[in-house]
Amino acid sequence: MNHDPFYWGRPSDETYGHYNHAIANAKSQIPTSHTQQPIITGTSVLALKFKNGVAIAADNMGSYGSLLRFNNIERLIRVGTETIVGISGDISDLQYIERLLHQLQTEEEVYDSDGGHNLRAPHVHEYLSRVMYNRRLKMDPLWNAIIVAGFSDDRTPFLRYVDLLGVTYGSLALATGFGAHLAVPLLRKLVPYDADYEKVSEEQARVAIADSLRVLYYRDARSSDKYTFAVLTFENDKINVDYKQDLKVENQSWRFAENLIGYGSKQQ
Amino acid sequence: MKAVENGSTSIGIKAKDGVVLAVEKIVNSKLLVPGKNKRIQTIDRHIGVAYSGLLPDGRHFVNRGRDEASTYSNMYKEPVSIPHLMDRLGLYVQNYTCYNSVRPFGVVSIVGGVDANGPHLYMIEPSGTYWGYTGAATGKGRQTAKSELEKLNFEELTVREAVKHAARIIRQAHEDNKDKDYELEITWCSLEETGGQHQFVPEDLLQEAIKFAQEEDDEDDEDEEDTEMAT
Amino acid sequence: MNGISVDINHLKKGEVSLGTSIMAVTYKDGVILGADSRTTTGTYIANRVTDKLTQIHDTIYCCRSGSAADTQAVADIVKYYLQMHASQLPPGETPTTKVAASVFQEICYTNKDGLTAGIICAGYDKKNKGSVYSIPIGGSIHQQEYAIAGSGSTFIYGWCDKNYKRDMERDECITFIKTALSEAIKWDGSSGGVVRMVLLTEKGVERLIFYPDEYQA
Repeated sequence: MNHDPFYWGRPSDETYGHYNHAIANAKSQIPTSHTQQPIITGTSVLALKFKNGVAIAADNMGSYGSLLRFNNIERLIRVGTETIVGISGDISDLQYIERLLHQLQTEEEVYDSDGGHNLRAPHVHEYLSRVMYNRRLKMDPLWNAIIVAGFSDDRTPFLRYVDLLGVTYGSLALATGFGAHLAVPLLRKLVPYDADYEKVSEEQARVAIADSLRVLYYRDARSSDKYTFAVLTFENDKINVDYKQDLKVENQSWRFAENLIGYGSKQQ
Repeated sequence: MKAVENGSTSIGIKAKDGVVLAVEKIVNSKLLVPGKNKRIQTIDRHIGVAYSGLLPDGRHFVNRGRDEASTYSNMYKEPVSIPHLMDRLGLYVQNYTCYNSVRPFGVVSIVGGVDANGPHLYMIEPSGTYWGYTGAATGKGRQTAKSELEKLNFEELTVREAVKHAARIIRQAHEDNKDKDYELEITWCSLEETGGQHQFVPEDLLQEAIKFAQEEDDEDDEDEEDTEMAT
Repeated sequence: MNGISVDINHLKKGEVSLGTSIMAVTYKDGVILGADSRTTTGTYIANRVTDKLTQIHDTIYCCRSGSAADTQAVADIVKYYLQMHASQLPPGETPTTKVAASVFQEICYTNKDGLTAGIICAGYDKKNKGSVYSIPIGGSIHQQEYAIAGSGSTFIYGWCDKNYKRDMERDECITFIKTALSEAIKWDGSSGGVVRMVLLTEKGVERLIFYPDEYQA
């Protein structure tokens, strides 16, 4: 073998004659294409604001097409002490974003010995939205939809979305993917108007998210019944993060299936 | 080297469960805000640096350390090991001795932290030379500090105890420079105490250490007085 | 000019691919990698005795699936990176499997537009004993107790999930892999030939080979 790295992965000259560089420099023949497709994907992320905090949840599925390949993907990432980032979409990009956020934390919090600023949810969201839109401009998007949950500087709950196009919006109830169709209406039923999130209690929010996850497990073919649930609360001047893993979708109802026989005219 | 010899004292202690870094920060003006203008810096979450000499050179050195550490972890997805980081920084510092267009670094830096192989403490000079230490000192009060460090039992010492000793040693090293006020800055890094992160010691521990140093000092004074009386 | 100067698009189309059955399993003493030996161009078997188990470092190997050209190039590059990395480690230390897998991941992720590579990286190192990392097509990385990949693996997901046990004995683990791969080979047209295995333990590397008349029993 010719050990010069330049010749790696190429046929040897002795056997095949000189290498045709048109192959390596084939740009003109194959345009560089970026717009990939997601490979291993995570499904919905759900989140809801309440009186003094935010609740956010995502299941642990990583599917490969219709193959439910991994059941141990953690899609809720903790950033700093009071922010959770929930990610759906491509898992390799999720892991990349995880590394970006780790680097961001090192730069903003670890390098800063004078303790000037805390990294809070609005900053994390702004950063991610810039990253997502930049990649969109390069026609090489990060194939994800992201929900950032945490608190603003004045400690009111913060909840905002950003996706592969760089589109962002905020609301009292947010969901990505299938959840945007199935869960948002359910969460919205609790509080129709954005400003009214103050009327929702923590308990109500917990129940609403758990109920939505059950509906998603019934109707989303890429979901799993194992999920992670994080509830951030601001109480007595302190932020509390209740981050629970390995939860199961409960109170499922299947027994009614016994009485459903046939699909039209009566059968035995 | 001159700059370093007269710089304020920095020390590092490698205890059995981690490392402690401390600096004597001379208060040059009453207008400086106490507790601000931190001198000890962090290279990566698990690595800290204290240096004596030209402060801007120290900051440049730390920036290079951060670049090295993040390049490493971007490729290998794990925190850089301290010996490897020192290899890289040694090369970098040495390079500034090779060209007439640049001058060598005006700092001696003490680099300490905890990695997968446990605690490490290094000191690197303007020449690019670096050695591993159990106790390191540089700056004006280094002689006093070194002789005090030599008395410590590094095999048994915990970081919590080392913090107190650091406060005491800095105080003793400051003796010769008594006319100027100083502020004490201490950081630590240990699996047990900080989860492997390099951090400033909590305020109560710092105050406790300062009190300990004061008491030790008073005792020494008393001892001296006793001996004087005896003669 | 010669056989190689063909249209690049055509070359991509008729690419030699490792439609494969590969796996790696941690067990009591370390880790075992297993693979079939079939390489195809379309339905033609380009090589019936391929070795898809590739050495990256002393006791770190990978199983390759996807494009033969891509995975060979990636493996070569990772091997080079690991030599560089190893040369900078303190005396007596060797690279961890995690580092090797992370380099695979970095290359597969940053070049995801051009690569078709599904890799299992497995190895033995003093600190972590046997460990297995799966790096599927998009360039994500997943540590697992055992991993299966390649076109044939889809047929044995259920069987492996039911029959895998932690800390198996050597012979038990070999039988586990042999049974799983023989089943994958039976159902997958793109897998076939012999079953190769590499055992990575404290003692080093051991190779095994099983022929169709043995594993088909």
